[in-house]
Amino acid sequence: MIDVHAVTIDYGQGEQTVRAVENVSFHLDKGKSLALIGPSGCGKTSLLFALSGLLYPRSGRITMGGEEVNTPRRDVALILQNAGLLPWKTVWQNANLSLLLNGEFPQQNAAEVLAHLGLDSVMKRFPAELSEGMKRRVGIARALSTSPSVLLMDEPLASLDTLTREKIQDLFLNLWHEHGFSLILVTHNIEEAAFLGQRIIVFTDRPARISAIVDNPQMGALDYRERSPFQAVMSQLREALEA
Amino acid sequence: MKRVLTYVISIAALLFAWEMASLAVNGINHALILPGPFDALSQVVKNAAELQRNFAASAWRLILAIFISLATAMPLGLLIGREPTLDRFFSPIIYITYPIPQVALILFLFVVFGTGSATKVAMVALALFFQILVSARGAAKNIDEEYITSVLSAGASRWQVYWHVVLPATLPQILTSVRVSIGLGIAFLYIAETRAALGTGLGSFINKHMLFSRDRAFAGIIAMAILGLLLYIAVDVIERIICRWKYVKKMPLK
Repeated sequence: MIDVHAVTIDYGQGEQTVRAVENVSFHLDKGKSLALIGPSGCGKTSLLFALSGLLYPRSGRITMGGEEVNTPRRDVALILQNAGLLPWKTVWQNANLSLLLNGEFPQQNAAEVLAHLGLDSVMKRFPAELSEGMKRRVGIARALSTSPSVLLMDEPLASLDTLTREKIQDLFLNLWHEHGFSLILVTHNIEEAAFLGQRIIVFTDRPARISAIVDNPQMGALDYRERSPFQAVMSQLREALEA
Repeated sequence: MKRVLTYVISIAALLFAWEMASLAVNGINHALILPGPFDALSQVVKNAAELQRNFAASAWRLILAIFISLATAMPLGLLIGREPTLDRFFSPIIYITYPIPQVALILFLFVVFGTGSATKVAMVALALFFQILVSARGAAKNIDEEYITSVLSAGASRWQVYWHVVLPATLPQILTSVRVSIGLGIAFLYIAETRAALGTGLGSFINKHMLFSRDRAFAGIIAMAILGLLLYIAVDVIERIICRWKYVKKMPLK
């Protein structure tokens, strides 16, 4: 359903051009999950922004359901590093921002989504009043508000403590099973990639090129972290990153 | 309650320092050069009606000037800060015109607008225009890009980015520049009001009495200080209402 074909992304112009991504191709079927892992600052985020229609590749093509991606799409949601919440909007306004920007009104299920994520008691609060874990959940609520068919995530759990991180990883996994969206996760965390990615693409340092592809077909259960294939995938990823 | 008390204590300290300075200056010169706070305050009471009239004249000029400069400089500054093409065109113009002391243009303004209120308002608005323009531009340039990316990925149009991100993100800094503008504006207003003979306003009241009844002039200075204080308080109240998110308790809820 998602096709990335020979994509190269550059920043800047003339002599100051920096190549962020070089000749990357992959394919993702509907409802599957993919993790992109690589060193910090290697260019993974640029690739994700291109997938979300926020920037154009220098060359190559990105298509979703056969249509070329060149502008943000309503059926694609992006979750950013710090959840992308606006400090001057309440939890309710932040969670429904995508709808409000498109001139739509939050449906009844918007409140249900917030309640499901444990946010119903803080709807009138501002982000500064929330814990880090809660902020991420508001970001998730916002992403789900438009019932997307593709969810893109850029290091969504960086800077969280381990327990909160695992809790939200579990939440992502449950939501993925429940909603059936395709998931693309950018991360530099090996555990996160192995827990959430059915397939994991390992990138080189800048410019990002594909250095290895690791299949992880047994993922998908909440207790996967304690199983031996998880450990095996982790050591495979570690080797690929060190290479 | 505690805030009111600290206010009272600090103002009492200021009056005490003023009284001491007045005793020292007058003692050294053996003459009444610097009137003390109590002389000045009693003149405030005695000239209440005249002061009130002049206070009103100065206050509305200052408030009008702040509104005019905000209404023009804020949108322009935000646009220049966010649109690189506009920035390339306007930045050189700002850098050349910003350092010009706007007071230098006052005679020119008298020629254009006459000696009435229009010149005084124009003088102050012109000075504050640059103040607010430069700070709105700076604030717009420094917005965290994650906010912009966040709304763009949610499908925001260019104008929605301004409305939902650029404006609220820069408001606190713009209000700070309005606070600075109050102080500057009073200084410029004073100059403008003293330049027109027989005009109204606290500036001309102070100027009229400075030579021969200095305690009355200082009563005018007290009135100007009160004008500034009231405007500062007004900006604080406005900020607490429209930037409520800045004043929430930063205590993480679990």
